[in-house]
Amino acid sequence: MSQSSQQQQKTVVTVLKCLKCSYTVERPFKEGDFIPKIDGTCPNDGSPLYIWGIYAKSLVEKK
Amino acid sequence: MLDLLAYAQSSSGQINTSYTLITLIFYALIAVLFFMPGVQQKMYTYFVARDIENGLTKLENFSKNAKKKTIELLKKSGAANAEELTEKFAEWFVIDPVNVEPTDIINRMKLLTRTSEDKIRQIIMLSLPNLDPVTRSKIQVSAEVVNALNTIYKVIRHYLLLGKKLNSYYILLQLQSIVPMIIKMAESYEKAQDVFIKGIPVGDSLGPLVASRFLMNINEKWTPSREVVAGETEFEGRRLIVLKAEGPMPTVGTPGEAVENVINKLEGRVNRIITVDAAAKLEGEQTGSIAEGVGVAMGDPGPEKIAIERVAVKYNIPIDAVIVKMSMEEAITEMPKEVYDASEKVVEMVKQLIRERTKPGDTVVLIGVGNTCGVAQ
Repeated sequence: MSQSSQQQQKTVVTVLKCLKCSYTVERPFKEGDFIPKIDGTCPNDGSPLYIWGIYAKSLVEKK
Repeated sequence: MLDLLAYAQSSSGQINTSYTLITLIFYALIAVLFFMPGVQQKMYTYFVARDIENGLTKLENFSKNAKKKTIELLKKSGAANAEELTEKFAEWFVIDPVNVEPTDIINRMKLLTRTSEDKIRQIIMLSLPNLDPVTRSKIQVSAEVVNALNTIYKVIRHYLLLGKKLNSYYILLQLQSIVPMIIKMAESYEKAQDVFIKGIPVGDSLGPLVASRFLMNINEKWTPSREVVAGETEFEGRRLIVLKAEGPMPTVGTPGEAVENVINKLEGRVNRIITVDAAAKLEGEQTGSIAEGVGVAMGDPGPEKIAIERVAVKYNIPIDAVIVKMSMEEAITEMPKEVYDASEKVVEMVKQLIRERTKPGDTVVLIGVGNTCGVAQ
């Protein structure tokens, strides 16, 4: 596999975090997501879940 | 039978003669090619030009794709003249200020940059008067990408045609040596357009992301300059004023002017300025590696950066810089995980820096520099 095709194999994920209990969950990025938008509630304590991060995750492991 | 053998021998002799003749002609041609300088150079020129033409086709495709995406975005937003607008963006230009007389060049640069930004915005708003600021910013970024790719394509085409016209091997050779780098840069711009349209934070959003961690708990925010947001909080007895470009739209704002206004309003009663930004890494350096230094961390052509330096000099305020390294492509495409991980470390580093270099009662100005695409406050 060429280097460029390896680089293209990445997915963008959105990290959601509860600021009260530090519960964190990841899901695929959706258009309209931004940091620190409130998106749902924490399953542990019902506090708001904030979009804490959005980043590209490589699907190819680095050797 | 004997007649037949004699005929066969004579025809074999003819073949041998023909073969020898062809071989001689072949070697003669080789000799002509290698010993006549004009022919050799024309051959090299042909191969170099062909290589550049292949690269130019890629650049043309990048430019066409960027235009197509901009037209789609404009049509989706309701523009009736999407093609005409896109062509206008592609051919847009800003004339550099006179630099043989450098006096006041910063103010002239600032005027030209702002005028250009205002004009592009005005063109968009005239066609789409009810456009929201986020979509307008996305169209503005797309316009910049279209303009950059169109300019790159046309400049490379110009030198290729010039080299061919003058039959200059040396013009073409120089062009051939830079074309791979230009293609890589153009490819990054094309990828960046998709990322900005989707509203995904880019590597350059590192600075605004760090600032947003401090700003998100501040209720009262104000606008110290165009497209910049500021908020004030207390950090371990220090007065902390945090600034970043106004997100989540893709903009870098006017951070220099914002810092200048904030510090002038405080009559210079600021003990430290801290700038956080993404920085270009050198080949071999790790993406996401953090470095600390002195000065304004900002990839601005001049006006914004100098505004901070001038106000710092006016009131004798030390300036700290924290940078996170990444490649040019990573800076303008989706934020890599390494940079995201580094942002958390930078937040802690900034806190430690404030603890170590200021004392309770001091005032600190923190600026998260960079494009705030996908990062609000």
